[in-house]
Amino acid sequence: MNITGIDIGGTFTDLVGCVDGKIVTSKTSTTPADPTQGVARSLELAACDLPSLGEVLHGSTIAINTVLERKGSRTALITTKGFRDVYAIGRGNRIEAFNLWFHRPKPLVERQYTYELNERMNAKGEVLIALDRAEVGALVSELQKQGIEAVAVCFLHSYANPDHEKVVGELLRAALPSLFVTLSHEILREFREYERTSTTSLNAYVGPRVRNYLNTLETYLRGANFGGQVHIMRSNGGVMSLDQARMQPVSMMESGPVAGMIGAGRLAAHLGLEQCIGFDMGGTTAKSSLITRGQPAIEDGYVIGEHASGQPMQLPVVDIVEVGNGGGSIAWVDPAGGLHVGPKSAGADPGPACYGKGSMDPVVTDADLVLGRINGERFLNGAMQLDVAAARRALDEKVGKPLGMSTMEAALGVATISDSNMSLSVRAVSVNKGVDPRETAMIAFGGAGPLHAIAIAREIFIPKVVIPKLPGTFSALGMLMASWRQDFVRTLVGRLGTLDHELVERVFNELAVDGKAQMQRDGISGDAADFRFYADLRYVGQEHALAIRIDAASMLTSDTQAVRKLFHEEHDQRYGQAAIEEQLEIVNLRLVLTAPREDTMAEQWLTEKWEPTDNVPEAARDVVYDDPEKPLRARVLWRPSMPAGMQITGPAVIEEPNSTILIHPGDLVTVTEAGHLIVDLARKD
Amino acid sequence: MTKPAAHPITVEVVRNSIVAYADEMANALCKAAYNMMIYEVRDFCCGLIDTQGRMISQNRGGLPIFLADLGVAVEDGIRRYGLDGFKPGDIMIMNHGEVCGQHLNNVVIYAPCFVDGQLVGFAANRAHWVDIGGMRIGFGSSLTTEIFAEGLQMRSLKIYEAGVRNETLWQIIQDNVRFPDASLGDLRAQVASCQLGARRYGELVSRYGLETVESCIERIWEQADIAVRSVIEKIPDGVYEAESALDNDGRNLDQPIRIKVKVTIKESTMSVDFSDMNPQTFSPLNSGKSGGIAAARVAFKALTSPELDVHDGCFRALDVIIPEGTIVSARPGAAIGLWSIALPTTIDTILKALAPALPNVIPAAHKGDMGGCSFYGFREDGSRFLLLNIFGGGWGGRPGEDGEDASVSVCQGDVRNTPVELQEIRYPMLIEEHALREDSGGAGQYRGGLGVRITYRALVPCKVTVNCERTKVPPWGLQGGGDAAHNVATIYSASVPDRIVYKGTEIALAQGDSVTFLTAGGGGYGDPGKRTKANLENDLNQGFVSPEKASALYGWRADA
Repeated sequence: MNITGIDIGGTFTDLVGCVDGKIVTSKTSTTPADPTQGVARSLELAACDLPSLGEVLHGSTIAINTVLERKGSRTALITTKGFRDVYAIGRGNRIEAFNLWFHRPKPLVERQYTYELNERMNAKGEVLIALDRAEVGALVSELQKQGIEAVAVCFLHSYANPDHEKVVGELLRAALPSLFVTLSHEILREFREYERTSTTSLNAYVGPRVRNYLNTLETYLRGANFGGQVHIMRSNGGVMSLDQARMQPVSMMESGPVAGMIGAGRLAAHLGLEQCIGFDMGGTTAKSSLITRGQPAIEDGYVIGEHASGQPMQLPVVDIVEVGNGGGSIAWVDPAGGLHVGPKSAGADPGPACYGKGSMDPVVTDADLVLGRINGERFLNGAMQLDVAAARRALDEKVGKPLGMSTMEAALGVATISDSNMSLSVRAVSVNKGVDPRETAMIAFGGAGPLHAIAIAREIFIPKVVIPKLPGTFSALGMLMASWRQDFVRTLVGRLGTLDHELVERVFNELAVDGKAQMQRDGISGDAADFRFYADLRYVGQEHALAIRIDAASMLTSDTQAVRKLFHEEHDQRYGQAAIEEQLEIVNLRLVLTAPREDTMAEQWLTEKWEPTDNVPEAARDVVYDDPEKPLRARVLWRPSMPAGMQITGPAVIEEPNSTILIHPGDLVTVTEAGHLIVDLARKD
Repeated sequence: MTKPAAHPITVEVVRNSIVAYADEMANALCKAAYNMMIYEVRDFCCGLIDTQGRMISQNRGGLPIFLADLGVAVEDGIRRYGLDGFKPGDIMIMNHGEVCGQHLNNVVIYAPCFVDGQLVGFAANRAHWVDIGGMRIGFGSSLTTEIFAEGLQMRSLKIYEAGVRNETLWQIIQDNVRFPDASLGDLRAQVASCQLGARRYGELVSRYGLETVESCIERIWEQADIAVRSVIEKIPDGVYEAESALDNDGRNLDQPIRIKVKVTIKESTMSVDFSDMNPQTFSPLNSGKSGGIAAARVAFKALTSPELDVHDGCFRALDVIIPEGTIVSARPGAAIGLWSIALPTTIDTILKALAPALPNVIPAAHKGDMGGCSFYGFREDGSRFLLLNIFGGGWGGRPGEDGEDASVSVCQGDVRNTPVELQEIRYPMLIEEHALREDSGGAGQYRGGLGVRITYRALVPCKVTVNCERTKVPPWGLQGGGDAAHNVATIYSASVPDRIVYKGTEIALAQGDSVTFLTAGGGGYGDPGKRTKANLENDLNQGFVSPEKASALYGWRADA
């Protein structure tokens, strides 16, 4: 079967496909007004014939951009009487503690479109006030009158008993078929009313726009005689069906960035790396994620937008720490003489000073060029000539002169600070989880990743760096390896060992029933599916819980020794201590349901034997490493010419069509049988 | 300073690293903590201290009033043991009222950091324990008159000596606090957090050498100082004064508490003079000197360098004049259980003093209190519960925009309220509403933000403690803006008439009784008559302002 993955980003649309046993790629500009144009052009450039394809995988920034630009639908929120303002009040916190002019998250639903219904459950899910259907009927005409396009319904304690939400959903859907309705329990059966309200509202807010987008895409593909399946990349690192994406667009928020981490996970598994850090550096940001036994870490939620004023989203998401530091990040000097890099980026237009489009703001790429680390002749596979003189001028003007440094010193300073910024994000995904970077490896990709990865790895004592094949388009490749994945959660609070066995069994069964229903909707066969159950546990009295794998309900109710041991170990690893004598409490039960891909073409390509495709002779040039006055003579190699088994020692620069790899003095590079580069860092004394 | 200047690039690496370490310590503490005062309220701070007791770095987020004040706790230990009196594996515990000046629930833990046998600094944290013993459960009783009724004091003791736990001290704590599992759990998390911080700082010092790291830190402080002074230089020189008041000390209900400050700007320095503050009281409304210093520092930081990381260098241009014996500088032995109550008002009063000098910078007053409630009693199964929650309120209108609604005080930063669903899972209470309080924001061209309204119904007999402040001097407007609605609590009971309560400790509630808390709004900024029609109409559409108030305060007419 032929497959393609298409990733529509803000600037570029990337395509990687497996067609007739070969890998094909293309890169083209995104057309924001009509994304299908970008899809069509990228398919054409890669010579992919739609009728011959069996599957299209797709990632898009549409959902997240709708939120960031606040261009969603006119949305209403329906909630429990007395709790209309839960969404506006939020948690009341001020993250920017000393800012008298702080801003807190602004709800996506206006207060005037937030409606209360007189109903109430308690924490056990018992009905305290029954829902009045007539009240819902009155609300229907109000929603119509106000021109509401989407509705979020979030009642208090609906995670424990969703009956009232279900009734409201049925009545609204029956009365107003074109209305986009999201019920909180359908996407998140977990306590914490503000975060659940926010997640539900996000879904409703982006719903109509994403639905239209997906409809347009589907119409285009079907119109071009595509008869295969469409899968949408989701934030949890898996894929979902087009139908599910239309109902749950909130789960495609991080559609793009996670795919590269999935690819890195597969590569880690192939190379037998127990623990590694995926590192993706592009034009504006650098992203890091911890990968354990081939799986990127998953968080229970995150904030969309600015960290102090963004919208909470409480669904599983691949844990990616992003810093505003990429190849296009601008270097600047503050009034007190501090040198900084980012988070502002020069973007693609005007771009770095070296693009010669008139920008005088020096960026990381300018510094890399001046230091001799990238080749101005071969940028973007020779499609763009870089202007070294312009880069020098900008660095001199904005950094060198204000700080009394030479141009080279300034360039090295920018590169070093940039590496330092990024190393802190790598540290955040490792040490913050109790992982020692010295026991990991780094898998580096993205346009600028391979250029900076080794300096970062050295800075935080990571001994080994892997540069995969096709690092510049690795994220699109990752999409072709993503499994179908569903996450289900159910809040159930009680002490370990004292919860009623039948109750626990029942909740696990309910989770399984939900999972099977989704499998049926998506045509996933029972044999392929992998059901994994977890319990969120904590010491009694703690708030933050850790998810522990559970094989049977009895592990939580009678034979609890194994669970206790796992929890103490995990707690000790994460927080440096455990309290063996203490009681444990269960908070949530979870099901992670996956079905592996039927084809494994992309993974096979990852492990396929590497043959050189070119024969470009080795060259040499001066490259600045640690001493701005003393450049080192570095070997310059063309990666498509390097055979498997080849070993070289830095200083060296390895160039390839969409990326450059900088090898530091003494580091040893080995080309693996499959063509990946393994860099063993020289030990520093 | 005779140290060689550090390379600017190394300075940046050190700058990023030291704050990241403090953040790492905070993360470890918060995630493993047992009580909501830490994991939700984030009533803690973590940081690195040098061998002179100066703050090298502090975690971001957390409580603003914990501003570079861990140093005094560490200094006391240095005085007691000497710099050569620490060994690797020592862990210190400290909450002494006279030295720390804060209620005894705030327990400081710190660990020395050694590199090649040399002491290079300390990693420290302070966290609010849910109970520290004393005459009343939790904290916040207004009945104590001296510190000895407020709990267990520990002054610079080694809870671990060279890695060995002091079992005697451990058991004294266990036997003298009401929730030993929670407090000792928090203690364990604090210890692990300090060990982590000490390890990280040690790695940094090993890598660059102590001399280089210290010269980088000195450079970071100098840079902050330059930035801070450049801001002060733009404020016109002069002496600026303001006064406001707290309602009372909780015992003598008719006697207001004077909050009076004098701020002097001279060239690139600012001094805050607390000489005219109310004398210390016999109630626990006092703080030690560190309370006054914290209030001055919060106001100073908000004005001069809100975006910079917190360390010693941020405050070199600030002088705090604070004679002993005022409500923010009480003498040893005074009750300090409610040490933080006066601080938001003190900070707002400092800002108010400077408003004429900074007409387009200073917002109107915010809600002005710490805001919160506590309920306690026994569940039906006999287990003891203590429910604590934090409420936000309105912030003042600002030049150019309305104030924020329902936000925690200027003394609290990344402090969160507790989800209603979580409270109902855990405690025998039913929360009947959690809403914005309409009409509570002060009128103005830029309206004050709204307070909140929250109602608890007791499902079992229990007790409630109420601390409403600033009912007589509500959050004030600026530049012609109006005052906001003040705090108030009402107890509804089937058996007795409704009771309005401002301050009360352990008021008994019968099953089915309910308590409604209304929190203050923020003051208005600018003449209400200048509010745009569009903004006023939006207020009405969204229900932030009622039609009655719109016509009374803004002259709005339905037919206009």
